[in-house]
Amino acid sequence: MLELRQICKRYSSISVVTDVSFVARPGEITGYLGPNGSGKSTTMKIITGLIEPSSGQVLFEGRPIQDDPMGFRRSMGYVPEEPYLYTHLSGIEYLQMVAQLRDMDPARSKERIRGLLQLFGIYGDRDVPMSSYSKGMRQKVLLSAALMHNPSLVLLDEPFSGLDVGTSLILRSLIEELARRGKVVLFSSHELETVERISSHVVILHKGKVVADDTVANLRVFMQLPSLEGIFAQLAIEQDFVAISCEIADLIHA
Amino acid sequence: MLRPSLLKLRDHHFFFQFRVLYRVFLLRVIDLELLSSDGDPSRLLGQFASVFCSLSFFCTFPVPFLIITRKPVPVPVAYMFEHFFIETTMTIAGLIGVLSWDAAFPDRRDRLVLGPLPVPSATLFLSKLAALFAAPLLAAGAFNLFAGFGWPLVFAVGVGSKFSLLRTLPVYWLTVAAAAAFMIFMVLAVQGIAANLLPRQIFLRLSAVMQAIALCFLLSSYFLGPSFNSPAALNAQEHQQILKWLPAYWFVGLFNQLNGSMHPELVPLAHRAWMALALSAAGALAAVFLSYFRMLPRIVEQPDIVPTLRSSFSFGSSLSSVITLFSLRTILRSRQHRMILSFYVGIGITVIFGFTHTKFARLTPSISPSQTTFLLSSILAVFLAVVALRIVIAVPISLRANWIFQATQVRPACLYHRAVRTSLLSLGVAPVVAILAVGFFVSDSFFVAGHLVIMALLGLMLVELCLFSFRKISFACSYLPGKANLHFAFWFTLLASIGWLKRAANAEAQILGSVSGFVLMGLCLASLAAALHKFSSLQAQNSQQIIFEEEAVPEIVSLKLNS
Repeated sequence: MLELRQICKRYSSISVVTDVSFVARPGEITGYLGPNGSGKSTTMKIITGLIEPSSGQVLFEGRPIQDDPMGFRRSMGYVPEEPYLYTHLSGIEYLQMVAQLRDMDPARSKERIRGLLQLFGIYGDRDVPMSSYSKGMRQKVLLSAALMHNPSLVLLDEPFSGLDVGTSLILRSLIEELARRGKVVLFSSHELETVERISSHVVILHKGKVVADDTVANLRVFMQLPSLEGIFAQLAIEQDFVAISCEIADLIHA
Repeated sequence: MLRPSLLKLRDHHFFFQFRVLYRVFLLRVIDLELLSSDGDPSRLLGQFASVFCSLSFFCTFPVPFLIITRKPVPVPVAYMFEHFFIETTMTIAGLIGVLSWDAAFPDRRDRLVLGPLPVPSATLFLSKLAALFAAPLLAAGAFNLFAGFGWPLVFAVGVGSKFSLLRTLPVYWLTVAAAAAFMIFMVLAVQGIAANLLPRQIFLRLSAVMQAIALCFLLSSYFLGPSFNSPAALNAQEHQQILKWLPAYWFVGLFNQLNGSMHPELVPLAHRAWMALALSAAGALAAVFLSYFRMLPRIVEQPDIVPTLRSSFSFGSSLSSVITLFSLRTILRSRQHRMILSFYVGIGITVIFGFTHTKFARLTPSISPSQTTFLLSSILAVFLAVVALRIVIAVPISLRANWIFQATQVRPACLYHRAVRTSLLSLGVAPVVAILAVGFFVSDSFFVAGHLVIMALLGLMLVELCLFSFRKISFACSYLPGKANLHFAFWFTLLASIGWLKRAANAEAQILGSVSGFVLMGLCLASLAAALHKFSSLQAQNSQQIIFEEEAVPEIVSLKLNS
């Protein structure tokens, strides 16, 4: 189980995340939603240990992650929001590097890398430097790197970004399958339809604060709205999107 | 037929597009990837210009003392300074041309960004060409900013009438501009010919090697080039063959021809300068023109990326292997790191060849000249290889991608320190020692084998010293210029160790004369290396974290008395 307790992150006097608390359980898919700049990726980076929180605690399986950071990293797979990779390496070189850094068994890692590259459809480009990869291909490499050591905690920050329709469907199904196999899955996405369909429960963040943390069904009843999109619009969107779109069209037409 | 108003509009449009593109290409002449991850190109160009201007200023110091006498400087002195300014200008132009190697032709990005825009190919071609010439010529101009007005005053004294300065000044500028242009033409011609003759994929693979070689060649030839400063030396029959390969002297001849101060020994050189200028210009323009219009359609159709060669080597533990392979691939594939390393290799070759050929480097008479060269050059080579590698690994490849090292750190920080040590030994010391095995052909086996052992131990000690406070992963920590003063340390150590080098080589040569001496020396060095290794490992064990972000030491330290 992953638990966040009153996580706060401040840069100088600017508060990015304030008192974020929620629980993600094994076998469940937790959707993490919020508009751009709401603090989703910051929270994800705090969970992975890439950023230190200003206050609060992250617990995994009941223990603060600082107690055994290396053990925690062994059990975590993470796909960041932006596909930042060492693009001078080829896909297979990068995955081999990650496998060795994770201290995986060479024979097993070789087999898994080969399998993952084949299943994601990038085996043919395995020897090409990633600087020539499309965003979708880089995303597939990141997904492979995050999953190849069979982690018990899967953190996916915008995992559908850049993926084609076919791979998105595979990933959607994969996320469900991972949860069925008892893994803790936390994923953030702007694709509300996908989140609504696969998430066991959702956490909605707005201006760094949790404004909703419940199952989609409960939120629908509570908010008396038919869809997650409506709930999200009411809780986290302040702008009048129809008016803004008209203004943009007027501006370019003038 | 277009009406005059439309023609005017079209011209205005052309110049506007030309100006915009020229500015973009000029700032991209120094590739961002080459010099800094997030560098500001205009600031960078400004820094380059200020360095050259300062050099020019210092070079102009002797001018007032020379012109106050109102006497013409002796011919050898005049030749020496003319040669110095022309050769330095050429080297600067050549270096900028080599650094902007990949900006010579439009790349895939140019084509994809500019292709959909209504920009004629001719505008693109002309603006690119103008930018390519502007950067080296501006650098050459910056170097001559003060010298180019001061030294013609010296060269004009005693030449023709008292108005000779009116001739010498423009002639000087014309000559240095022609010399700089010749270098740019040569760089472009080499690239253009290779691009036209080779299949694109092979050209892309070779291009990186050619750039590194060109950089080494320019630096070494600048520092190691012979000097012929007297009319007799320029006239000597035995020097004629080598003068055919020294373009700076051709332009000395050209300068004197245009200045009206021609001496007979300079006639063939001036002739050669005109020929070289014409041929290089024709070759470069033809090659570039052909490359442009032949390559442009292919750039979009064919990938710029060459598939990597699959390789798997083991360097000890899996962590050592991964760090060493990552370092090796970064050096081989990152232009930025390759250029820095090439710069040090070029300087290294210069220092080694320059030093071993001086009288200072002669050891005791009992040691043969070939052994002397071998001993001195190998000590210098090990030193330069390790220190240059240490400088290169401090420059990050992609800071934003470093998260993977942080997110996958499942082993203690001290093991990463050990892995970096293995990478320095494998990529810095081992190749040099392997190359030094060539010594088996010039000296007896025991002497060379003993020396190789000593060099390996020296390399080990240098690696330990280099990693003493290094708590990072190679190429994966942000770089804070000036914090470690590594470049300063490099030059200081190099200059300081020159004096010791001869003594060290002398002592080694004596010791290698006997087996017992060698064993004793080996044991001493091995003990010292082991002690350094132990000390460095203990230091590493005390640090719990790997550093990914270099932080500046605060200029004001708070005593926190109010907290």
